[in-house]
Amino acid sequence: MNNTFYGPRSGESAWLWFAKALSGLVMIVILIIHFIANHFAAPNGLLSYADIVRYYQNPLVLAMEIGFVAFAVSHALIGLRGIILDLKPGAAFIRVINWLFTLLGASAIIYGIWLILTIAGRGAA
Amino acid sequence: MIEITKGSLLGRAAKWFDPRWRTLNMLGFILNRVTAIGLTLYLFLHLGVLSLLAQGAKAYDGFIALAHSPVFIFGEALVVAAGFIHGLNGIRIALNSFGIGARYQKALLVLVLVVALACSLVFAVRMFGA
Repeated sequence: MNNTFYGPRSGESAWLWFAKALSGLVMIVILIIHFIANHFAAPNGLLSYADIVRYYQNPLVLAMEIGFVAFAVSHALIGLRGIILDLKPGAAFIRVINWLFTLLGASAIIYGIWLILTIAGRGAA
Repeated sequence: MIEITKGSLLGRAAKWFDPRWRTLNMLGFILNRVTAIGLTLYLFLHLGVLSLLAQGAKAYDGFIALAHSPVFIFGEALVVAAGFIHGLNGIRIALNSFGIGARYQKALLVLVLVVALACSLVFAVRMFGA
């Protein structure tokens, strides 16, 4: 216990582990920008509907928000899968989790991108 | 790594809270998981609530008014605290994984927890004061 090794756990590919670490670090940067724009710069801590539509007219903001939802959902589900893997479930259970999380993640990211583009579209007169 | 191979699935999960495991490293391990699960729940709630944006200004701004209630602010303060703990600890784990500061991982964990606590308190005071 004195020297804990941090890295891919058994059943987690090095690639997934790296994706989780990288998305985590990228999210910290995006989260700081997200907090400044959405909370510190907002008059009473939260943006109104009109503020958000206006904010989303910037293509850089759109790219950042789409990246944010993709990174956050991926990181969360890879991490949750890792927690489940540590409980040493059977191979069949892992297969179900793999499919379920892939489907859930893809749906959440597609929904997020749809929502972001829909809101951005409201500002186009 | 930690040996968790015996017993039922729930029994193995309960090991996280076994007092005999409560070394400093184990505290970091448990905090990282509890905050991970909490932040994942928050993420999906957040994505769900933001669907109000699609319903237009009235629906979303109505929710914003509700979000200024103390219950919501308390929940958000918990999310902020979980974010600080998980984010700062994540930086520590990522650095340690690449061999940076691995010798000082325990001291760094203490530093992470102290900084996370301080930042969370500053945010909580600011959020409840607003």
